[in-house]
Amino acid sequence: MKIKHSVLAGVALFAASIMSAQAAEKVKVEYWSNSLSPKFDAVMKDLTTKFNASQNQVEAVWVDVAWDAFQARVVTAVASGKVPGLVNLPKPWMDEFAQKKMIVPVTKEVASFKNVYTKGALADVTYGNEIYGLPWYQVTAVLFYNKDLFSKAGVKEAPKSLDQLLAAAKQVKEKTGVSGFAPKLNDGFAGWFLYDGLPLIKDNKAVFNSPAHVKLVEKFAAAYKDGSIPKDVFKMGFEEQIAAYNSGKIAMFAEGAHALKRTQTDAKKIYEVTGVAGFPQGAGKTPFGGFLFLWSVPKGFKDVGAAVKLGQYLTSDEAQLAFAKASSTFPSTNKALDDAFFQAGAKSADPVEQATAVAATNIKASRTLTISGLPDEAAMNKKLNDEVEAAVTGRKSAKEALDAAAALWNEKLAAKK
Amino acid sequence: MKNSSSYTTVAYLFLAPALILMGIFTFWPVGYNTYLAFHIYDIAEGTARVASAEDGGYFTHFKYIYGEDLFHQALKNSLLYLLVVPCIQLAALVMAKLVNNKLPGMTFFRATYYIPVITAISVAGVAWAFVYKFDGMLNGFLTWITHFVGIHSGFEKVEIDWIGNPDIALYSVMVFTFWKGLGYYMVLYLAGLQAIPAEVEEAAILDGANAWDRFWKITVPMVKPTILLCTLLSTIAAMKAFQEVIVLTKGQSDTYTALFYVYDQAFRNYNFGRAAAAGLVVTFFCMILAVIQFRFFGEKK
Repeated sequence: MKIKHSVLAGVALFAASIMSAQAAEKVKVEYWSNSLSPKFDAVMKDLTTKFNASQNQVEAVWVDVAWDAFQARVVTAVASGKVPGLVNLPKPWMDEFAQKKMIVPVTKEVASFKNVYTKGALADVTYGNEIYGLPWYQVTAVLFYNKDLFSKAGVKEAPKSLDQLLAAAKQVKEKTGVSGFAPKLNDGFAGWFLYDGLPLIKDNKAVFNSPAHVKLVEKFAAAYKDGSIPKDVFKMGFEEQIAAYNSGKIAMFAEGAHALKRTQTDAKKIYEVTGVAGFPQGAGKTPFGGFLFLWSVPKGFKDVGAAVKLGQYLTSDEAQLAFAKASSTFPSTNKALDDAFFQAGAKSADPVEQATAVAATNIKASRTLTISGLPDEAAMNKKLNDEVEAAVTGRKSAKEALDAAAALWNEKLAAKK
Repeated sequence: MKNSSSYTTVAYLFLAPALILMGIFTFWPVGYNTYLAFHIYDIAEGTARVASAEDGGYFTHFKYIYGEDLFHQALKNSLLYLLVVPCIQLAALVMAKLVNNKLPGMTFFRATYYIPVITAISVAGVAWAFVYKFDGMLNGFLTWITHFVGIHSGFEKVEIDWIGNPDIALYSVMVFTFWKGLGYYMVLYLAGLQAIPAEVEEAAILDGANAWDRFWKITVPMVKPTILLCTLLSTIAAMKAFQEVIVLTKGQSDTYTALFYVYDQAFRNYNFGRAAAAGLVVTFFCMILAVIQFRFFGEKK
């Protein structure tokens, strides 16, 4: 008996030690999401559990980091060498980090499955000639308009191009006295050039003082002058745009569907007369206001393969769909975007549902419009934005302003070499 | 009896908690910042190396900011920001004088003037953005006045872009600083005023001095140490103007200050060395101003 017992105990111990040894062999991959807790705890925990259940070599550990602290924490982690396996970056940060070599390229690792992602998203995660991330969720702007103001002004249908849009804005201003459109200008003008298919840099030279660029700025300046865009448009961010639209002070604005939810709760009357259309695509072949989040592997992480494996799971059709449903954002894979969930509202009378369907159709072409890889981003962006503001508000001619900004850019670009 | 060396030990023991905290959170960062200013810091590697001749030498960051227009502009704005110092000091002293009497309800006023100080700057910034907005409170109020006195009529409006027009935006931000800081200095002056013995003022009244003379000949000289302290504090605060700018204008419309430059270099350009160098230059200006103020207001020994 005694012997039997001790043998049993010995076997149990042995088994336990083997199991724990196996467990220890699992590669732990910590992954940092960007400001998703506590709102999306449920879906993130669920995804983590499902992934871990499907794996016997990799174990995912989810950590959420707040937006404000995110960049600093990644910087500290990379500097100290204790890095997580994946970090959740918005596209502009990915560019900066790739430029500073703080994240590693994963081109080889994703080669076998990269075609599940939309073209736009795949282009977004490419920096130089390398892929630096796995596309995750994204948002895009759709155009919201006040049907009441449109009919008072005699605007028959939603604009199909930027020119039509500005013409409609002018008509609204002339007929009703209300500013027609609040374009997003508070965080820079570079995005508008790219939207219109106009490059900022070519062969390491600033090219944004060409006649085409000047013309685009002049369009905005004219709209500012005749009041079809509001006078404090350069101070209008997300909140201010919604507030102005909700109080009937602007007739059109472009944002994600989540913005309209605020109109739904705060300004019922305006909500009832809200029409939705896709934001007209410019010559850049993309709507305005796209923004992509992705997963990148920080420099110094030992097992890039394991990290990419987790990333592949998180950005798979099924996982992306689960997250998109929970957060009213959009996935970045073709298949997930075709899901009935997004298209259900296409014929709905409800503006939010309709906006969701419109955006899901548009988003495959959506790019994050950002300019990156500048040698002195702070000074160069500031100069360009200040000069454009001076031109749009009529303190300078567009040509003069863009020439001045281009001169500084060329000086900085030349100094880099 | 204990000897003097054990007294010293005990004294240092009492100082230790504060010294350790200051050492970790003040002296060490200042020291490391100075070190960084002469180095090239690589975040990806987490290493700082001495700026070599190829990088432009030991003073490369200083040379760079010396030649950079943006930094000059920023420094000019920060120095211009000093205009707020005399205004806020005079107003705070006068206000302290006004609330330093025994009328009933005076505590209410003292508390009211102090409220802006304890309001979070981000919250106050949102409120002031509404005041300065194009169709905001200030323009609305001015429109009402101009209609009242008959300058404007009909639908004419006062339309001043308070924080959008580069010619006036910085001053608008300064007004915000003035409003926010006034109560703080008022309380300090109040403490200074209450230390003035009542007899001095009474004697002056008996001698026939009027209120104006009493203010300049008695109050001001007797609160001179407080004036030095407050001027110093508000000068440093003005040189460090950054939060006000970020909540109101984000550095647009020629309100870019020196510390905004430091912030941009560190967290937009990831160039910590250059940011550190620019920070040192700001510190240097603060110290010069402090020396000047000690000369003016300090006790002559």
